[in-house]
Amino acid sequence: MADTGAQTEAGASAFTTFIESQPGASGGVSHHHALALQVQYDLQYQHDWTAIKLHTHSGTSTSSGAGLLPRPLLSGLPAHHVYIHPDEQADILKQGLTEKDVSVEEEWVLPTHLRERWTLRRFAEVFDAIEEAPPEREAQRGPTERKSYQRTRKRGKRLLMAVVNDDSTIVYYIIHDGIVKPRQN
Amino acid sequence: MEASLGSPVPTLPFPISRTSYAVERYFLFSAETITWLRREHHILGVLVGTLAQVPQQNVFLGLPLQLQPEEARLLVEQGLAFIVDDFQWHRKTYDEMTKEEKKAYKASLRQEGEALARASTQKSQKASEQAFRRRAQQQSQDGDRASRTDSYSTTEILDADNEEAGDSLFSPTTPETVSPLCPPSRTSLTHMTSYSVTPTSSYQLLPTPPTTSRLDLPTIKHSSYALFRHLHNENYFLSPGLRFGCQFLVYPGDPLRFHSHFLAMSADWDEEIDLLDLVGGGRLGTGVKKSWLIGGLSESENKDRGIGNPGVGEEVRTFCIEWGGM
Repeated sequence: MADTGAQTEAGASAFTTFIESQPGASGGVSHHHALALQVQYDLQYQHDWTAIKLHTHSGTSTSSGAGLLPRPLLSGLPAHHVYIHPDEQADILKQGLTEKDVSVEEEWVLPTHLRERWTLRRFAEVFDAIEEAPPEREAQRGPTERKSYQRTRKRGKRLLMAVVNDDSTIVYYIIHDGIVKPRQN
Repeated sequence: MEASLGSPVPTLPFPISRTSYAVERYFLFSAETITWLRREHHILGVLVGTLAQVPQQNVFLGLPLQLQPEEARLLVEQGLAFIVDDFQWHRKTYDEMTKEEKKAYKASLRQEGEALARASTQKSQKASEQAFRRRAQQQSQDGDRASRTDSYSTTEILDADNEEAGDSLFSPTTPETVSPLCPPSRTSLTHMTSYSVTPTSSYQLLPTPPTTSRLDLPTIKHSSYALFRHLHNENYFLSPGLRFGCQFLVYPGDPLRFHSHFLAMSADWDEEIDLLDLVGGGRLGTGVKKSWLIGGLSESENKDRGIGNPGVGEEVRTFCIEWGGM
């Protein structure tokens, strides 16, 4: 990531231009920040996420003040559902609704690189630093929703772990805090 | 399951036999204890006994039941069981046994064999008598259809023969040839020999080991045991997870009725986890409608519960990983 600037002369790639355009990106960014930007780019252009935001500070009231997050996190609104709890899936079917009738939830995203090694302690630190849902955006949810499904469950803490490989492949895994039964797809 | 609620509770604490050669293994030999544990304490273990003639058998296994070290330790910690060194206990008890006791035991085995042989002969005789009675009835009914009766009776006799052959498979006497016209001779009862009984366990011979002979708790990796106990306390059933490349398969109920929910792995709080393992586990788990669970003993400072008492103030953190589908 360090030499992304070198490409600019010979016509910058779309991704390089994207990084340059980010606020605070000029003059080099940290490794973690660059990783987050790469994931952000993928989410925005590959997966059509909206309202993507980079978080560097913890918003939890429990941790003393707004501490620095262990590493930058992203939040955003997916184009489709990333996760619906199995109980809710069953509920939706019972009510004769489809998953389209459920409002899409904002998700946390944790950018990581495949060659990193994580520990339980570090996962716990990340989860302890976040709220269940990312901080509320300005209310801009469209009033278009038809017959919508009322969520019955408390949303647990979860995040989407983005694992970046050297060939810029990014895979996404949902991590739940605690024991959460699997979905029956 | 509910129907058998009245089944007996074994005398507590019951012995768990330990054998240790290359690895320590923990066995239970009493079917009564095993069913009780499964029903009341969610302890599954693995049945490992094969038939002596089919040592490569790998389905429909029977006694004994091998316990995972975590299971053995949990049972001991809960005061339900204690661990006995099987080899030492047997050698010691056999050495102390008197000649008379050995003789009495051999006699009891012989009596058992005779009773079995008697029962088996009676059963096969009853079966062939019934077959002959049926044939006689048939002959009187179908007197006019002579040609067909002949073929009927032949099959009937064959059936009777087969039945007898099946029952007397283990009988030392060769089955007599049955002539189609006269019933089998009753002489077999008189010159009957006994079956030789091979006991499958020694608990009739040996007294229950005294609880004073108990051994130490199984030594298990701390994080592994903590995760096992945590999930067990949450009323999950755990079985070994090698088939799915994990430590434990975690079932929400008895595995005979439920699919497992999680593929569980334990790790120390600061043990490094390769992200490729996490990705592989998550992908495999989601492919079989399960979730990959990683957990261990928390060592974070904000632990405000009682410290020093093992197992009480310990907090286990778990994380479940599923494929994101994008």
